[in-house]
Amino acid sequence: MQNEIHLQSRTRLQDYEPIVGRSCLEELRILSEKFSGKVIQIINSTSIGGGVAEILEHMVPLLNQLGVDVRWNVINGSDEFFEVTKKFHNALHGKRERILTRDFDLFSEVTERNLKEMSFYGDILFVHDPQPVGLIAKKKEIGRKWLWRCHIDVSSPDKKVWSFLRRFIVDYDAAVFSAPNFAQQLPIRQFLVTPSIDPLSDKNKELDSGTIDAVLAKYGLISDKPMITQVSRFDRLKDPLGVIEAFEMVKKNIDCQLVLAGGTATDDPESEEVLEEVRKRAEENPDVHVLLVPPESDVDINALQQAATVIIQKSLKEGFGLTISEALWKAKPVVASAVGGIPLQVKNKFTGLLCYTVEGAAYALKQLLSNPEYASQLGQNGKEHVKQNFLITGHLKNYLLMFLALDQMSEVVHF
Amino acid sequence: MVDWLTNSWLWLTKNWLYIIVPLVIFLATYVVGLWVRRIAYRTFNRWAATGKWEGSQLIIQATRTPFIYWFLILGAFIAIQISTLDSPGKILAGKILASFFVFSLSWVAVSLGTKILKLYIVRAPRLQPSEPLMVNIIRIAVAVIGALVFLDIWGAPTTPIVLIFVAIVLVAALAFRDVLANFFSGVQLAQGEQIKVGDFIKLESGEGGYVTDVTWRNTQIRTLDGNLILVPNSRLVQSTVINYGRPLKKATRPFRFYTRLYLKELTGLKASNLVELVNMLKEVPDSVIYYHAHSFLEEYHYLTPEPANDFALWVSDELGDEVLGEKLASIDTFDFPTIGALRARIEGVIKDYLSKKPDGRTAREGREFHFIKSVSFIMPTPYVAHDLREFIEVLRQVSIDSLTFHIFDARLRLKRGVNDFAIWIEECLDDKDLAEKLAYLDPYNYTLEGLRSTIIQVIEKRIK
Repeated sequence: MQNEIHLQSRTRLQDYEPIVGRSCLEELRILSEKFSGKVIQIINSTSIGGGVAEILEHMVPLLNQLGVDVRWNVINGSDEFFEVTKKFHNALHGKRERILTRDFDLFSEVTERNLKEMSFYGDILFVHDPQPVGLIAKKKEIGRKWLWRCHIDVSSPDKKVWSFLRRFIVDYDAAVFSAPNFAQQLPIRQFLVTPSIDPLSDKNKELDSGTIDAVLAKYGLISDKPMITQVSRFDRLKDPLGVIEAFEMVKKNIDCQLVLAGGTATDDPESEEVLEEVRKRAEENPDVHVLLVPPESDVDINALQQAATVIIQKSLKEGFGLTISEALWKAKPVVASAVGGIPLQVKNKFTGLLCYTVEGAAYALKQLLSNPEYASQLGQNGKEHVKQNFLITGHLKNYLLMFLALDQMSEVVHF
Repeated sequence: MVDWLTNSWLWLTKNWLYIIVPLVIFLATYVVGLWVRRIAYRTFNRWAATGKWEGSQLIIQATRTPFIYWFLILGAFIAIQISTLDSPGKILAGKILASFFVFSLSWVAVSLGTKILKLYIVRAPRLQPSEPLMVNIIRIAVAVIGALVFLDIWGAPTTPIVLIFVAIVLVAALAFRDVLANFFSGVQLAQGEQIKVGDFIKLESGEGGYVTDVTWRNTQIRTLDGNLILVPNSRLVQSTVINYGRPLKKATRPFRFYTRLYLKELTGLKASNLVELVNMLKEVPDSVIYYHAHSFLEEYHYLTPEPANDFALWVSDELGDEVLGEKLASIDTFDFPTIGALRARIEGVIKDYLSKKPDGRTAREGREFHFIKSVSFIMPTPYVAHDLREFIEVLRQVSIDSLTFHIFDARLRLKRGVNDFAIWIEECLDDKDLAEKLAYLDPYNYTLEGLRSTIIQVIEKRIK
């Protein structure tokens, strides 16, 4: 099959049983039986890199293990096409972009080409993000059920781009968003499915103390000094300078160190500039460690999170913010801004502390560093919250339910 | 030829006494044997009649005929000993007769051992599959002992043979140590009658079910979700096993556990202030009210009992109105038999508050109240309970979703008024008292795991 992605299973479904329990896997098996003889065709823009591909890499083999015939195809597109869709992506996020008529024309051309070249064989076609959204044109010809998964926050989009895409989206049977405040008013059904983390991945698996110590030594960090860590790419929206400011307020009373770990995005020319600014600002304080972590360093990131005393995510704007779930899964106390999908993960004073300002962040950090028992309790609650709501097994369950819901209009469905 | 006959006749006429006497002794021993057998078996029969041991008839059947052969062998032996046969001849004849005796005795031992084994194995059905193995063990043991005695009679050195045999036995025991351990554990279980077919047992690993068979190697357990577990007998003997014994009173209809999975669906409606909230509350479907009254409970069920509804949380957290938040949080969902009644109460509280304090705050952008409905998918699980014991064991294993469905959804969303457990216990087990206890248990007062434990405790108390 053209552009079909074949994946080797990294983990076995039963490996999740000690984490989520037998009954959870039993329910997945019961659900998967409903898909006998059906093919689910997933379509997105890339199989390598990016959050969508990463999650599909984990999910597709697990769905196959459950006996669900899920196949994954990617569209063909030129570099110019992906530059345009990158601009669309930013515009949907509310960032100002100069989008020309020829950009829309190119998008339509590539969509037309893919409509001719691709094979549409699924009983359910599950299309991810804006790049392949135009493939819905095929629905008039072949029918079937079409589902559009939106991984981005389209609550305040560029109107021009949104109205261009909306005319495709409304032809789908349903759309799927990660959080209620990410969605738009649409005349079709809209489901809510939060993203997830894989507890067995390199980024989230439990590490032994030797590995953690080795990573700390590699980055020149002191293991016996309280550590505040923010893991995110160097982007102004992650407010790294605000984090340093909050840290300096904390440092006046508590001896601790700050780790800002992340990479630079190749598609964001600003990120190098931000990294330089952060480095310059950090020069003033030897306890601020700015770590440029290369891509594919999941174990390093995991170790830095596990070694942290408190994890902070002081974003000014955020998508769902899965780094929060990663931190909570490690039972770490978290201080995070109440933006994007963060409040879904951090229930203030239950699973972490929410903040709105630099001062608020500093206050919350001091509270957690001074009260280890309180911090530990929040961390434990956070871990349980992730276990109940943001693990890959729950994500699989929601996707299967969503596929079932396409054939059901009733609010209570009996099987 | 004539000469030979003549010589023989002459020898007989001279030595007839040497022939006649042994012959008479031989016949006399035979007659004594018949007499002894009659006396002995009559006495044995009398003794057996008082003891009423079923095996006594088997002993009689197995030894009655050989008994007379043994007297014939004895008679022949005595006759030879008093005959004029030379000494080596007597020794040889003695060895031959002793060999016959050992062979006959071994035959009887095998026959008797097998019959007694069969007599007892009939009473222990779980050991019946191992009968051929036990018969072979008896045959081999008797054959080995018989062979050793035979060799000893003929003067062959038995010590090396015994040593080789012991070595073979040890090697075999080592090679089949698991099989033997399971076999002897099976015998131990059978003798002790600690675990019987039909019993409900629970293993150390937490798995439990009904014992369907006990073979010489393993014990078969049928779990409550229909799977078959084979536990090696040796493991069963060495580990802690809880035997709950026979099933309790059977329900007229088994309880099938269902699970309810739900998907969140956006309605597209969102409120920024109290007026919008109360206006939309009137219009939204029941599934929206149900979702917002239970979502905190479902998402944070591990965390806190008595969870607030989403309306209360939003009013407190986003509109900063702690007073109204408290009023909404104190609405006890358990007090309302229908979603309609619950909706009316929430609406009433907000309207009442607005009439006194009409100017409320507006939520920040992105922090509006989004009306979400839950689409429920109700599916049967493999778990079925026929009595309260099974019910408890299944309840320990089912998912939180299953518990939530039978307790919360059944009462409000499926409009049954009472939770499913109470209905089944009353209708199918006719236990009104227990049903009432479960019906009046306020599930909103517990974390979901706490609720599970409480229901189990209530039922366990009843069983005891």
